[in-house]
Amino acid sequence: MLSRETREPVGFLRSRRVQLALMLAPFLVGLAALVVGPALVTFALAFADYDLIETVRWIGFANFVELASSTAFHEALRNSLGFAAVAVPLRLLIALGLALLLHRRVAGVGAARTTVTLPSAVPEVAYGLLWLWLLNPMYGPVNQFLRMFAEPVSIPNWLTDPADARAGIVLMSLFTIGETFVVLLITRRALPPHVYELAAIEGATGFQVFRRVTLPLMAPVLGLLLLRDTILSFQFSFVPALVVTDGGPPPYATTYLPLFVYRNAFEYLRYGYAAAATLVMLVCTGLAVFLQWRLIRRYRSRYEW
Amino acid sequence: MTAGLELVGVHAAHGKAEVLRGIDLTVPKGELLVLLGPSGAGKSTLLRVIAGLHPVSAGRVGIDGRDVTALSPGQRDVSMVFQAFALFPHLSVADNIGFGLQVRGMGKREVRRRTEAAAAMVGCEKVLDRRPEELSGGERQRVALARALVREPALFLLDEPLSNLDAELRVRTRTELRSLHDRVGATMVHVTHDQTEALAIGDRIAVLRDGRIEQVGTPDEIWRRPATAFVAGFVGSPAMNFLPGDGPWQVPGAIAGQQVGVRPESLRLDTSGDGLAATVTGAEVIGEDAWVRLRVDGHALVARVPATTRPTEGAQVVARADAADLHVFDTDGNRVG
Repeated sequence: MLSRETREPVGFLRSRRVQLALMLAPFLVGLAALVVGPALVTFALAFADYDLIETVRWIGFANFVELASSTAFHEALRNSLGFAAVAVPLRLLIALGLALLLHRRVAGVGAARTTVTLPSAVPEVAYGLLWLWLLNPMYGPVNQFLRMFAEPVSIPNWLTDPADARAGIVLMSLFTIGETFVVLLITRRALPPHVYELAAIEGATGFQVFRRVTLPLMAPVLGLLLLRDTILSFQFSFVPALVVTDGGPPPYATTYLPLFVYRNAFEYLRYGYAAAATLVMLVCTGLAVFLQWRLIRRYRSRYEW
Repeated sequence: MTAGLELVGVHAAHGKAEVLRGIDLTVPKGELLVLLGPSGAGKSTLLRVIAGLHPVSAGRVGIDGRDVTALSPGQRDVSMVFQAFALFPHLSVADNIGFGLQVRGMGKREVRRRTEAAAAMVGCEKVLDRRPEELSGGERQRVALARALVREPALFLLDEPLSNLDAELRVRTRTELRSLHDRVGATMVHVTHDQTEALAIGDRIAVLRDGRIEQVGTPDEIWRRPATAFVAGFVGSPAMNFLPGDGPWQVPGAIAGQQVGVRPESLRLDTSGDGLAATVTGAEVIGEDAWVRLRVDGHALVARVPATTRPTEGAQVVARADAADLHVFDTDGNRVG
């Protein structure tokens, strides 16, 4: 057993505030060095011309002016917003549907839940390479499967047609919904069963139960997941675009904002220009999140949970 | 006249365990029937079977002359008040009450009118715009009742609706519930494990034990002529005293193996005269009453007497009861005579 003397902190360590600061320090140091610092540097670089070799040259808003007239950036912005607008709702809907389908304890449900969750555990690059094979126009299983039903002209050219390639990237994103699925599954399972018995006795149909009971009770979590997925969607388009489509078909069919930033920074060594694009991406994300938050608030005031 | 509720040979199980083992029960229209029994007797399961929330493994359920055994809960025309006053947490009180009407596609104005009428009936019209979490237990219970009333269903099912209320509110609400039933005139099935509550509000009482009905009768019948030793022992507080048939109590015709029961209220204590010689081993005074513990020939008895007349501990007394107040049960626990 420890003696009382060794347990009692000495000197300035006795202060609660000092203890608090010490315990927070590792996290705060990491946050400052890895997040706040680079964010500030990025913000500053957006107004500079810098290629890692020559000295930083301050050029004011020139980067933003160039972005405004760049076809590549316009494409990337449109691609990213389009991707978020299509992939995020689809991902959320599929995860919700699967969570509601698999929340009951029946035979085989465990295996089904694992199956839904598993793709999210595959490393991103491996997942991308897998899809490179799956989507191959000649021998890829997806098209081999489609050939059994569809006319040859309507078979998608996943890697060579611009629209098909974008659809392919969305398709890839629809299987990595493990986390969203797990959160929704838990949320649904935590809802009180008597509320459903009540709805059954009151004569509500399956759809009425979904719309009037399940949806409003799950809405806080759905809202949170919607915001989170929107923020993330700008990021998780990066690896597929790099590995599977290489930003193409040319020139920019699947060049999303992260890939645009990556190319400019690490391939063309235009750090200032890339930083400016990052800022625009941040503003877009912020705007999307703000709009959704307003929407959620309006829904909230209707149901007042 | 068609029965408000008719159960024929109802069996039900939880997994492999049989919970209801053949329930036959007919409740006339407009009656308030109380299902009484200890925990685990199957009362709540029976209620859920009637509502359609639990499947029967055999038997039939009829409501208002309709066989509803195969129908879903929503098609049975019943409403239910749950023990926890189940309300929708995300809806206002008014929307909670009107939920059943809304999902049936009734117009907004009609829903509002009926909601207000039902709320006024149970006295919760002032909280219509609030949410369930802002209400007290008693208010929630009223809202749950209003929700049950608003659809004017053929049958009301109440699953221990008073058990979450404090003692004083419970007694008051009990009276209100009874008068509400009399005003509405609907068939009600009320589940409780509280025998006082059962005696106070039931037109009739069905006593359940291990998934079977022991006795169905008016509160008076249950009290005065319990059909089994179980009913006799379960209804009454303090519980009925039991003595062996060939024991100290001389009842004409009672033999070994039989039991003689006498309620604590039926025992009178005296200092001398005919009766059983008893030693007072203690007493609990509860307001006006005293529960006096007695020892007769090695058997423990309890007598309920006015507190003012209670004998002191250690006193030798004589316990006496009218022959009409003695209940004799055979070896299987069934009433004799």
